[in-house]
Amino acid sequence: MTKQQFIHVDADATVKPMPQTSDLVSGTIDGREVAVPWGTTLLEAAASIGTVIPTLCHHPALPPDGNCRLCLVEVDSRLAASCLFPLRRSGFSVSTESPKVFEARAFVLKLLLSRAPNDEYLKELAVKYEAAPDPRLGDLADGCVRCGRCVRACQATGTEAISLVGRSQERQVTGPFFEPPAQCVGCLACAKVCPTGYIVFSEERTSRSIWGRDFEMVLCPICGEPVGSLQELARAGAAEELCPACRRRAMASALVSGPGLSL
Amino acid sequence: MSTFDEQDLEQILRSRPAEPRQLLPLLQDIQARFRHLPKEALLATAERLSLPPARVFAAACFYRAFSLTPKGERLVAVCQGTACHLRGGQAVTESLEKRLGLKIGQTSADGRYGLESVNCLGACALAPVATVDGVVHGHLTPDAAAELI
Ligand code: SF4
Ligand code: FES
Ligand code: FES
Repeated sequence: MTKQQFIHVDADATVKPMPQTSDLVSGTIDGREVAVPWGTTLLEAAASIGTVIPTLCHHPALPPDGNCRLCLVEVDSRLAASCLFPLRRSGFSVSTESPKVFEARAFVLKLLLSRAPNDEYLKELAVKYEAAPDPRLGDLADGCVRCGRCVRACQATGTEAISLVGRSQERQVTGPFFEPPAQCVGCLACAKVCPTGYIVFSEERTSRSIWGRDFEMVLCPICGEPVGSLQELARAGAAEELCPACRRRAMASALVSGPGLSL
Repeated sequence: MSTFDEQDLEQILRSRPAEPRQLLPLLQDIQARFRHLPKEALLATAERLSLPPARVFAAACFYRAFSLTPKGERLVAVCQGTACHLRGGQAVTESLEKRLGLKIGQTSADGRYGLESVNCLGACALAPVATVDGVVHGHLTPDAAAELI
């Protein structure tokens, strides 16, 4: 894999730019007119007019999966997961906060809270939607909401060291055979995209641990700051690398002292 | 034979083209041969199909037909679907559990018998139903069920 293909997943990235097509579709979202390129998801269309729909399993840098159902909205009186719903026809009428949506979202929150009752984001939403974990579900509170963002991030890097394994309440994120995953390169992409902070890792200047595995860090040859794990850099096709700050400086000085632009 | 045999595995793996879509067929073949999916076999399958072990493991854990630990030589599956439940399936289950000395989901220590439940065998007219090695036995009573073994 070349370095350019290495996907860096940034948990704080904002909504990705809309697909480039000339055909527009139009309709209303909460009564407001909106026109977006054909195939834009409802979530993106709402974001384009500043309407925020709560999401959890969605991550702008990852393929949508639609599994948490928090982003449900009412489209032409049916419930749909907005992160997955492509707008392909004009005349849509969407409500992001109808009573039906409110009720559905409260139910979804109840389930999510049963897994991660201490998550700040979910707790905040729980207040708004008057939701609480359901004691009848038993004690499921391990902190992981099974959104699979970690798995999709790992897939996006091309490594796919972990997966969601099992069904129903037994479903869990794990390495193969419930063991520390041999394929893991210690890039921390999974931990960075996890919305609940379930994936534990530790990081020191010269080493890093995650998923029960230890990794040695590569240090910037100029300033000595950690750049990434050995295996992580190998995956990106780099043996030795400068840290971002030193790289910028090196590039700038190369431009200044370089041969200049020959036209 | 439920023990792992490298030559058998090799033969199974070579019997199908090395394409990702052969994953489930291969896992079925392996399950049939070894009565479970040994770790070595899953790793070898991943390698043969160029799939990440994580994906192969997830598939192995997803389907009830696959098992990570050896299933009994003779598989007894008792239906706990709605129709069978209404017609005395619970008593049939208890009778089989007693006869085999196993709970649902268990395999005898010597590996001879395994007891499982299914949620409907699609033979509701014959309720209550159990299968032994895939052969359907209908209209069971607790006594008739015990005699199947
Ligand atoms: S570990 Fe985090 S990212 Fe992965 S499924 Fe659980 S909550 Fe989602
Ligand atoms: S954010 Fe849309 S289903 Fe999870
Ligand atoms: S419920 Fe037992 S066969 Fe259908």
